[in-house]
Amino acid sequence: MNHLPVECPRCAFEEISLLATSPVPGVWDVVQCGRCLYTWRTIEPARRTRRDAYPDSFKLTAQDIENAIEVPAVPPLLK
Amino acid sequence: MAYDDLRSFLDTLEKEGQLLRITDEVLPEPDIAAAANATGRIGENAPALHFDNVKGFTDARIAMNVHGSWANHALALGLPKNTPVKEQVEEFARRWDAFPVAPERREDAPWRENTQEGEDVDLFSVLPLFRLNDGDGGFYLDKAAVVSRDPEDPDDFGKQNVGTYRIQVIGTDRLAFQPVPMHDVAQHLRKAEEKGEDLPIAITLGNDPVMAIVAGMPMAYDQSEYEMAGALRGAPAPIATAPLTGFDVPWGSEVVIEGVIESRKRQIEGPFGEFTGHYSGGRRMPVIRVDRVSYRTNPVFESLYLGMPWTECDYLVGPNTCVPLLKQLRAEFPEVQAVNAMYTHGLMVIISTAKRYGGFAKAVGMRAMTTPHGLGYVAQVILVDEDVDPFNLPQVMWAMSAKVNPKDDVVVIPNLSVLELAPAAQPAGISSKMIIDATTPVAPDVRGNFSTPAKDLPETAEWAARLQRLIAARG
Repeated sequence: MNHLPVECPRCAFEEISLLATSPVPGVWDVVQCGRCLYTWRTIEPARRTRRDAYPDSFKLTAQDIENAIEVPAVPPLLK
Repeated sequence: MAYDDLRSFLDTLEKEGQLLRITDEVLPEPDIAAAANATGRIGENAPALHFDNVKGFTDARIAMNVHGSWANHALALGLPKNTPVKEQVEEFARRWDAFPVAPERREDAPWRENTQEGEDVDLFSVLPLFRLNDGDGGFYLDKAAVVSRDPEDPDDFGKQNVGTYRIQVIGTDRLAFQPVPMHDVAQHLRKAEEKGEDLPIAITLGNDPVMAIVAGMPMAYDQSEYEMAGALRGAPAPIATAPLTGFDVPWGSEVVIEGVIESRKRQIEGPFGEFTGHYSGGRRMPVIRVDRVSYRTNPVFESLYLGMPWTECDYLVGPNTCVPLLKQLRAEFPEVQAVNAMYTHGLMVIISTAKRYGGFAKAVGMRAMTTPHGLGYVAQVILVDEDVDPFNLPQVMWAMSAKVNPKDDVVVIPNLSVLELAPAAQPAGISSKMIIDATTPVAPDVRGNFSTPAKDLPETAEWAARLQRLIAARG
């Protein structure tokens, strides 16, 4: 593909990196958000790839990511 | 008939009319997941799906819904494809008694054909990865058998765990990993993290059909899944030594991924459409660094769709959840006749039991909640009489409607443990749990007017078997 998407559909972060390109050249790329790690293929439907079409119920904020619970919790170190 | 790898099972599914090859070009998203989703909506004997013409890929081979019907589940166990569900569960329980069957070690594993190591690892170049549900955080490995060892007892073969856990691909050589705290690998990870050590791990994809069943089975901590696979197959399970970790892995896997869970690290993962029919929330979860990938030439990438039940995952873990609960309950309560724990991994369980004395059925229900699996799952139990088939939902509804006096027969116990993914839990990991006693009260619990039940005619069971034989012979 020619250029990477400019923002994450899920959290609106603007650092998107390239993870993979299609074995048949130029068909699709797999890209990833540098903050929420959301990963998508560039030819997926708009509801998964475009911020304006992405469902509100799945959107994340920086706060959501920072405050997400740890599963499982990191245990205390044994002394 | 025991299958040593996925490919030989796919051949059998095809011969039995239970594999559909989709040769038209499809989109990786949303077509593959939507097709697999649709298998759960077209009847109980849906076929497995095989895709080999996926847009943008050159060599993709993707198998979906391999266990996703009662016919396929029966064939996985080497039974005729029209075997009724109750008989599949009973046969499963009968074979369990052969446990343990020692595995057979082989050196010529086909996944030794190709290797990526270190900086050359690129999961996207080996696997035709794709997304399932609209709100998923990314691409997942959701049908792997994950092998780990107890860091405090690494040479104990029984404590070596083989389990299915969800794994998000978050980089070319990085994975996010969900160990539910009730599961064995979480115990392994806790022991490693308490010492500040990484936990080595092997992830095997595209396994023989019984390996997938035992990896999703709630067995005891020190029971070997390989020894159970041997019992269920009726032949030793073929295993091989993974080259990096030295772990025991299935001989017949398509792909073996090895690496470590990095100690004391958590990173955002998910959400993911889950077996509960709801999305998990995004959570900070452990991460895996992949150090080595071994794979068959042109590997078949096996995955499953999961979302609102029923989906493949419900067929895959239905009988294998019933049988451990049946065995554990019967060990102390031989009055237990049958256990149907097929609803969302046993979050709801139906148990038929004879009664020793008044109040006995409720005790059986409480015991179900305190079995190892019940601690994290069994949130609702329905008890029915010994002559009610818990797999026959109309009979169960009849018992509920005719036998239950809500004031006396519904018991709610607050604040018990449940897995975090249970959507109704509040807070996550805590739930009230309910027993519905739909059995007939017996002395000294003398309630209701149950003295004249209508029973099946004495000749009915014989006629049912005769009719089934006649229908089967008709083809």
